[in-house]
Amino acid sequence: MTAGHDLGAMGWVSVASAAAAAVILLVHLLRRREVTAATRVWLLLGLGVLPIVTAGTANIEGFEATQSRKFCGSCHVMTPHAEDSGDPKSVSLAAVHARNEYFGQNNCYTCHKDYGMYGYVLTKAGGMRHVYLYLTEYRNMPLAESKPSIRILAPLPNASCMHCHTTTAPHWLAVPDHASALDAVKSGEMSCASAGCHGFAHPMTKLGKELELDGGPRP
Amino acid sequence: MKLRLPSTERILRVACVLALVALPLMVWSLFDPTVWPVLLALSVGQGLGTLSFALFLVAIARDLHVKRKLQSARPPADSAP
Repeated sequence: MTAGHDLGAMGWVSVASAAAAAVILLVHLLRRREVTAATRVWLLLGLGVLPIVTAGTANIEGFEATQSRKFCGSCHVMTPHAEDSGDPKSVSLAAVHARNEYFGQNNCYTCHKDYGMYGYVLTKAGGMRHVYLYLTEYRNMPLAESKPSIRILAPLPNASCMHCHTTTAPHWLAVPDHASALDAVKSGEMSCASAGCHGFAHPMTKLGKELELDGGPRP
Repeated sequence: MKLRLPSTERILRVACVLALVALPLMVWSLFDPTVWPVLLALSVGQGLGTLSFALFLVAIARDLHVKRKLQSARPPADSAP
């Protein structure tokens, strides 16, 4: 159990209904009485109504938890990313965004999620792929090896950045590099989070051969 | 070969035990919202919980079936001597 995790109202409803269901079930198991109509009603509560409330509320809380940085960082290969973006002294793109209230504790999900109508489902389906890869390939990989070898499946689409940073505002276009690279940014040819622009999102994003190709580490 | 269900009491006891395993699994993820507790809650916890409720429904359906059989086997009131 992790100390200091605050339960929301939904969490308390879940715990209370689970506790009530457990009491009903334990009483039934320990008293060993004949199954009467009253027993069936109690068991309907203990096996049906209350566990359904527990499952429903725990599901909502669980799915919300899957959006948090703590959740993403709970696989050891992601701890450097999570620790950096939660570090108030870090100036990486991820950390700067995490300090924004809109991103906050959910900064991994906010940047990496798929936008669109089925974005949530698609993101979670992609997350299951991460779990599969973690179990099959990365579970026992030391950090020294995983940091330079684990890569994002596809480059972060600029659309994720443009969800907040409009490319049509005059002050955005007033930046000469923005204006000259507008077409390349919109087509995805040039990444906002690249060495020549806003830098890589995480300080450990490029530690392997890409770093040499990029001309060495950025200050 | 005809499959015989265990007694209603036994089915309900198994359902209670399964639910007692499922409930802590579901609640654990609330206190420790990391990958494995959440995955266990959403898969094993939900699965066991659903199975226990299904067993409860089987027990109820069987009781109703037996009750209906007994009622149809009882001779009608006007045929009594």
